[in-house]
Amino acid sequence: MMKFNQEKPAITVHDLNLHYADKQALRNISLQIPEKKVTSFIGPSGCGKSTLLRCFNRMNDLIDCCQVRGEILIDEQNIYHKSVNVADLRRKVGMVFQQPNPFPKSIYENVAYALRLQGIRNRLILDEVVEKSLRSAALWNEVKDQLDANALSLSGGQQQRLVIARAIAIEPEILLLDEPASALDPISTLKIEELIYELKQTYSIIIVTHNMQQAGRVSDYTAFMHMGELIEFSDTSTLFTNPQERQTEDYITGRYG
Amino acid sequence: MTIFFKLRNWFGSGEPWVWLNAAAVSTSLLMVFGLLALIAYNGLGHFWPADLMEAELVDGEKKSVLIGEIRESETVLAQQIRDAGIHLPEDVQRVKRILLKQGNRDIYGLDFRWILDRDVVNKHYPENLLAIERREWGNLYGRLIGIKENGHTIQTDEPYKAMQSRLKKVIELHELAGDISGNEIDAINYRLETLRLKEKKLLLEDELRENVFLKKKQMLIEEERQSLNQRFIQLQSKVQKYYDKMASDSILIGIASGQIVEVPLEKIVQVTKPNAMDTLQKLSHYFHQIWVFVSEDPREANTEGGIFPAIFGTVLMVILMSIMVTPLGVITAIYLREYAAQGVLVKIIRIAVHNLAGVPSIVYGVFGLGFFVYFVGGSIDDLFYPEASPAPVFGTPGLLWASITLALLTLPVVIVTTEEGLSRIPSAIREGSLALGATKFETLRYIILPMASPAMITGLILAVARAAGEVAPLMLVGAVKLAPTLAVDSNYPFLHLDRKFMHLGFHIYDVGFQSPNVEAARPLVYATALLLVLVIIMLNLTAISVRNRLREKYKGLEY
Amino acid sequence: MENFRTGKHISQQYNDELEEVKNHLLSMGGLVEQQLENASRALLEGDVKLAHEVYKEGSRVNALEKLIDEKSAQCLARRQPAAGDLRLIVTVIKAVSDIERVGDQAERLARFATQLAEHPRPKNNYHEVYQLARHVQQMFHDALDAFARVDEKLALSVIKEDDNVDYEYEAIMRQHITYMMEDPRSINSSLDVLWTIRALERVGDHACSICEYLIYLVKGQDIRHSEIE
Repeated sequence: MMKFNQEKPAITVHDLNLHYADKQALRNISLQIPEKKVTSFIGPSGCGKSTLLRCFNRMNDLIDCCQVRGEILIDEQNIYHKSVNVADLRRKVGMVFQQPNPFPKSIYENVAYALRLQGIRNRLILDEVVEKSLRSAALWNEVKDQLDANALSLSGGQQQRLVIARAIAIEPEILLLDEPASALDPISTLKIEELIYELKQTYSIIIVTHNMQQAGRVSDYTAFMHMGELIEFSDTSTLFTNPQERQTEDYITGRYG
Repeated sequence: MTIFFKLRNWFGSGEPWVWLNAAAVSTSLLMVFGLLALIAYNGLGHFWPADLMEAELVDGEKKSVLIGEIRESETVLAQQIRDAGIHLPEDVQRVKRILLKQGNRDIYGLDFRWILDRDVVNKHYPENLLAIERREWGNLYGRLIGIKENGHTIQTDEPYKAMQSRLKKVIELHELAGDISGNEIDAINYRLETLRLKEKKLLLEDELRENVFLKKKQMLIEEERQSLNQRFIQLQSKVQKYYDKMASDSILIGIASGQIVEVPLEKIVQVTKPNAMDTLQKLSHYFHQIWVFVSEDPREANTEGGIFPAIFGTVLMVILMSIMVTPLGVITAIYLREYAAQGVLVKIIRIAVHNLAGVPSIVYGVFGLGFFVYFVGGSIDDLFYPEASPAPVFGTPGLLWASITLALLTLPVVIVTTEEGLSRIPSAIREGSLALGATKFETLRYIILPMASPAMITGLILAVARAAGEVAPLMLVGAVKLAPTLAVDSNYPFLHLDRKFMHLGFHIYDVGFQSPNVEAARPLVYATALLLVLVIIMLNLTAISVRNRLREKYKGLEY
Repeated sequence: MENFRTGKHISQQYNDELEEVKNHLLSMGGLVEQQLENASRALLEGDVKLAHEVYKEGSRVNALEKLIDEKSAQCLARRQPAAGDLRLIVTVIKAVSDIERVGDQAERLARFATQLAEHPRPKNNYHEVYQLARHVQQMFHDALDAFARVDEKLALSVIKEDDNVDYEYEAIMRQHITYMMEDPRSINSSLDVLWTIRALERVGDHACSICEYLIYLVKGQDIRHSEIE
């Protein structure tokens, strides 16, 4: 297993195999993702990095023919055990997607959505959490005067930060980012990256990205995946200067495998 | 050769397509507006107070006086007239003939009459001619000769004014009497009927065992019936008094043939002097007539009066249908799109739903009659209304069954459009909600349904458009020529789903094709058609404005 | 694992760019090698004209250095090279300055060669100095060769060779200190010799550094300031 002994793991994956119908998407994945660090998954399209990410909050459950074997431990609990409540798990493991996907509601209601689902109606608590989340997502100063405006009126980058604010409003332990900046312009991308740097004080962050430079910029650890297999997992500086595997080298330097 | 190349270039440039599209669009617009204009012209013209012509008709040696409105004039081949057995000189090729509305149907037998223009001489339009709209027998045209009260002629300086003021009083009385018999007496009748059924029910329930309370209850019912009957008699006498008062006055009218006809004022709706009216008066009379048309009950086998019950019935039926079809269609669509595993079965169901939209509406009518009316309605009667038997309550065509039948008819539209709307919501939004720990139901309830609401309303718009114009199935399951009462009234439970109702579409059919007086009815057909179109447009506009507001709220869905 | 290849990028242009930088470096190395050769021969033969050749070459070397630095910086900015490519560029940038210094040392040698030409020549005609010069020339040549062929074994042997150069250097130094003690009139020429061998010893060190970079390039390990196994 690829792991870093000095770190406490946020997620431990043991021998994970995932099949879509008769196609195997993940093969014997074992790794430990360190706590309160940024871990990035890179690899060519279809390598299974997003699939692996979606295993961590069981987003793959939405796909009918998806079968998972092996175990994923979060807080020493196998999240694929049948006693696990998926909604609770997802509150613990937040997720941000490639396309900014704010709900067609006001900015305030977007952030308060998950809290309202939990039955929190107290306006004071909601106000406080909304402000705190928007501040954490570095969006408060831009939107504090228009909290009732429709979230869709924000720019792409602002929407993505809003979505991050929405995800951290319920204080998850782990934040999954699925190509969070791929639909954004470079400046918005940098803002998101800066935000990721801020957020890792509080959350364990896993980011899937196609942009290797981004992985290099934001992450402490990088995992390279290829054809559903975990090829290499090491700290980012090593992986980007001196990868141990030929496939990793070929991928990050842009060569044919 | 060059022309060929030019042509090819022109086709290559794509310009012909633009022209073709423009032509198609303009043709469509032309057809729509042409249709509306035709209906509006023919329908709305009817309410304009036409001038009354007085003329002499020469028929060989005989001369007679004509009074009436010229409704139409056309030029026909002389041969056609000869074939009809009317003698014409040899040299005449074409003749002009006019359709004269001469009224006075009770006297002449016919109120419309074709005459040859060449036979008519001395046309003039005297101002003292009266058009008298009566409650029965259509219009009467003639001159005011005198006023009678209790059989005695009254002398006045201005007989027309005196007549109008008397008429006003009579009409007020008539309205009072109508109010009483329409509301209070009807209410009493309704309660009496309810009492009768209650008593019958009691008897049915206690048929076998001797109940101590039975007698007491029966006595109570009897008491109530007595008091109701008393009240009924009181009201009846009150109404009778009004009628007696009304019956005292009458006017004497000299008609075209020279006869003098006595017309009781209580039989008169209004009296006008169309030839004496200026444009402003005509205009106000015109709008008054239109108002009467949309707000009053029909008279004379639907050929006169208003069509309010039909408008009311149409709108009410459409609203009831919407209330039924929307939840059902939306829930079905949600199940098909969100919950059902997308397998062969769902595919078959979807195909079935799509095909359901193509089934001819009369088939739905037959189904509604056989299943809803006779089977479901019959069962309901057996179970819940045994006391009403043999008279059916729900086991007969009525508003409820008409609404349900139409709901079934429009269900596919709502399902298809809602499904379309649901499928257009990006999965990213769903996932966003689920990733925040929302359950599938919460996601549906708080995110998906609000976002799909414009599509649902679109479905409803299409459903309403189809349902409001549908006639064939309604003839089988509830629409009637003349409904004695509206489906909504002041008697508990206020909305009477078991009653039959009038419908604009059916009204058009009835007036246009089942009427004994085709000429009189024709403008009404157009007017009613126009109104039906307007009602549908109104219903649609309401739904469209709701949809647009929702769209505005959830705009920006398309990335 | 053979970790260093310039080719097989999806972008052929990228291949060409990296290849170009590497070739420029090698041709610069070739020029400096020639300078070193000329300077050594000028020393041995007291050929002042050859020494002037060395100065002239100097400007070409400097121009090449600037070109290589520019290309490398461009590559960093535009391609953001990673892993092996990154190590190549880093290595080139560092190696280029070492090669340039070797060029400088060659020029110093040439200067001393002209100075020594004015003095009476010893009977061995500075043979020991020439031996040292041959030695470091070989080292430098091997270093460039190792670079061109990506031969880390050769590079390692060059690094090991440096110790021998150091011994030779010390031997010559001791010898000339003895001369100076014996005959104070030789102090002038001996000091020039000392400066000369000092310059040669530096060339050996630069060759060593280049080889260390090469090992970093190939192995991804920085072996500077550490014991070689």
